[in-house]
Amino acid sequence: MSYAHPEYLVDTEWVAAHLQDANVRIVESDEDPLLYAIGHIPGAVHVDWFSVLQHPLRRDFLTKEKFEELVSALGIANDTTVVFYGDKSNWFAAYALWLFQYYGHQNVKIMNGGRTKWEQEKRPFVKETPSYAKTAYRAKEADKSIRAFRDDVFKQLDAKKPLVDVRSPKEYSGELTHMANYPQEGSTRGGHIPTAVSIPWSQAVNEADATFKSPEELRALYEGKNIKADGEVIAYCRIGERSSVTWFVLKYLLGYPNVKNYDGSWTEWGNLVDAPIEK
Amino acid sequence: MPLPQNLQEIIDMIASMSREEKLETLIAYAETLPDLPERFKTQRDQMESVPECMTPVFIIAEKDEHGGIQFYLDIPPQSPTVRGLASILLNGLNGCAFEEIVSVPIDFYHPMNLQEAVSQQRITGFTGVLSHMKQAAAKAQQA
Repeated sequence: MSYAHPEYLVDTEWVAAHLQDANVRIVESDEDPLLYAIGHIPGAVHVDWFSVLQHPLRRDFLTKEKFEELVSALGIANDTTVVFYGDKSNWFAAYALWLFQYYGHQNVKIMNGGRTKWEQEKRPFVKETPSYAKTAYRAKEADKSIRAFRDDVFKQLDAKKPLVDVRSPKEYSGELTHMANYPQEGSTRGGHIPTAVSIPWSQAVNEADATFKSPEELRALYEGKNIKADGEVIAYCRIGERSSVTWFVLKYLLGYPNVKNYDGSWTEWGNLVDAPIEK
Repeated sequence: MPLPQNLQEIIDMIASMSREEKLETLIAYAETLPDLPERFKTQRDQMESVPECMTPVFIIAEKDEHGGIQFYLDIPPQSPTVRGLASILLNGLNGCAFEEIVSVPIDFYHPMNLQEAVSQQRITGFTGVLSHMKQAAAKAQQA
């Protein structure tokens, strides 16, 4: 058994062999915004999810026009193969990939294992920031088929279709919002969306080298919790970053045709007046 | 009680910086955070850990010969932002009296306007580090 769409995954060896390939752009996207400056894969460009991928005012992603500017400045053309990698088992690499797909970039891949594996293999990190000739990138209209808004979640609930909560067990149970020292805690209620099953995102990756688990293991993990390919699945976490990993796994590694990431996630649902919650 | 002088100076300096300068300063603080001394490496299970951070952070404190508190931190190099933020606290609080340390308010970081440089989660981790430094200082004070 192999992954459903293995072309969405490359290994570190492939990346090392394509560092000079003009048709390939390596993009680092991290949870920690300083990691790229400390050292990155030679020739890789940086996309900071927090300062760059978000809308400056509204709670939303950057606009299509801003996305075109960003991607053009990174020297990415519409037919460039974009390979994402990052820290923390590719959390934010998956998030950036999801957003690139949201604006219609088709040729995207994740470097399996991310920074962790590249570092374990003692491959080079450099501090020099590369610059590439600007392109005239044209994005497509946002692809809402991969993004769930709160109304989609209500419809999902009404239709009794599956929801996957990918947060840690304590966030799922609602215990975590009661922890001390969260002066600006993002949600006023703890718990999870009713009927959502708990499958923490990290169960999809091998702790040792941050690579994805085997197709057999992944299938057993999700099908074992009754998350199956025949139907719509919505994944969520706190702000939609960890659930991007789950979205990637379900859509490209297992080949589920209809998977959405609910980026509003718990920081929206746990603050939403009149929304049902289970503990 | 006013903030410890060193911490106040760091806050004032960072408050006046552009976003780019703030990021560069955080990197410099991250890169100059001292390694955990050998003598503490076997005691990691007795150190304060900071569960608010998604990064493993360990803190230990002891009293110096002047009665002030000295902190020692262990934070992996893969987390430069947490290292940078914690290093600011280390530089700002090392050698201070216990009473000064526990009096630092949880919102001390507001004037630095760090949210233009790092996400709210990182800042939440920052306040987590402070409160665990206070607890480590309390243990050192009682020892």
